[in-house]
Amino acid sequence: MIAGLVQILLFQGLGELVAKFFLPLIPGPVVGLVLLVAWLRWRGSVPATLDGVATAFAQNLGLLFIPAAVGVVMYWPQLRSHAFAIAAALVASVVATMAVTALVLRALAKEPAE
Amino acid sequence: MTPPIPAIHEIWVYLSGSPLLALILTLSAYQLGVMAYERSGRNPIANPVLIAIVLVAVSITAIDMPYAKYFEGAQFVHFLLGTATVALAVPVYKGLVALRGRVFPMLAALLAGGATSIVVAVGLAKLLGADAAIVGGFWAKSVTAPIAMGIAERSLLSPTLTAVFAVSTGILGAILVRVTMDTLGMKSWWQRGFALGVAAHGIGTSRAFSVHPEAGTYASLGMGLHGVLGAVLIPVAVRFVA
Repeated sequence: MIAGLVQILLFQGLGELVAKFFLPLIPGPVVGLVLLVAWLRWRGSVPATLDGVATAFAQNLGLLFIPAAVGVVMYWPQLRSHAFAIAAALVASVVATMAVTALVLRALAKEPAE
Repeated sequence: MTPPIPAIHEIWVYLSGSPLLALILTLSAYQLGVMAYERSGRNPIANPVLIAIVLVAVSITAIDMPYAKYFEGAQFVHFLLGTATVALAVPVYKGLVALRGRVFPMLAALLAGGATSIVVAVGLAKLLGADAAIVGGFWAKSVTAPIAMGIAERSLLSPTLTAVFAVSTGILGAILVRVTMDTLGMKSWWQRGFALGVAAHGIGTSRAFSVHPEAGTYASLGMGLHGVLGAVLIPVAVRFVA
């Protein structure tokens, strides 16, 4: 478990460095993600401990954005006065995004639908 | 004048001065959220993250704790977002291995879907008169929250609003996916899953996994690819438009 965490932290650090000096617009962790994918491809498999840590993070991803999302308390009055616009934009865009993605995929994927 | 045991408010002063209170609040609220979600038979409306956000927001308002003070303690949880983002490399790698031959349709679908998300959300919010800060929060909201917040920070948009809209989008996607896909007559699981991952990131992905494993795998791939491409393209788009 610790070995997997060390690998992730190393790639996070590497990503931050690369982002800082070469790709200032891209968040460091995203660069770390890409580098880690490249390393896994080169290696050809996922180490078991890394897999374990990644699964633990994936299963509890939601916990990690609570601190930032609670900041909603500071925007409360603003959000309430625009409630309709926000709700409409959220619902319409998520339905449209799913529909467009699915339709393009179906149109371009050559295989017959299973 | 000299009480032998500390008065309750002294304990309180001690606790609220350390990160402990914020951490206890955050983790126990999340735990309660998860319990409620399980109790509801994993109903997407009883989203554990949404429940936790409401619980924490209500609690800190009730005890008059400023948000900045809360965040000072909760930042230890917040810090792990970056680490969790890097960890997404594992599902992305697994998905890439599984998908051979489907790369082009997926990338095209992802670009079309990602653009649709921005155009509809930002456009509609502007049209309906939302102010600039709120409109800014819609740019990255279909990207998985940890990456979306990184994009928002770098594009000088509000990471908080982005996170809130991202969570709402995930929940809405998980609720609305069935009716949307059935209306369109989408039959194959991988296509349904990928579309859900692109539109509704992590929350959509866990929904996809609970419906069908193939849908889940492709949903996590959709989420991961959208995260990477979004991190590259959205800041550029923001710069051109805003």
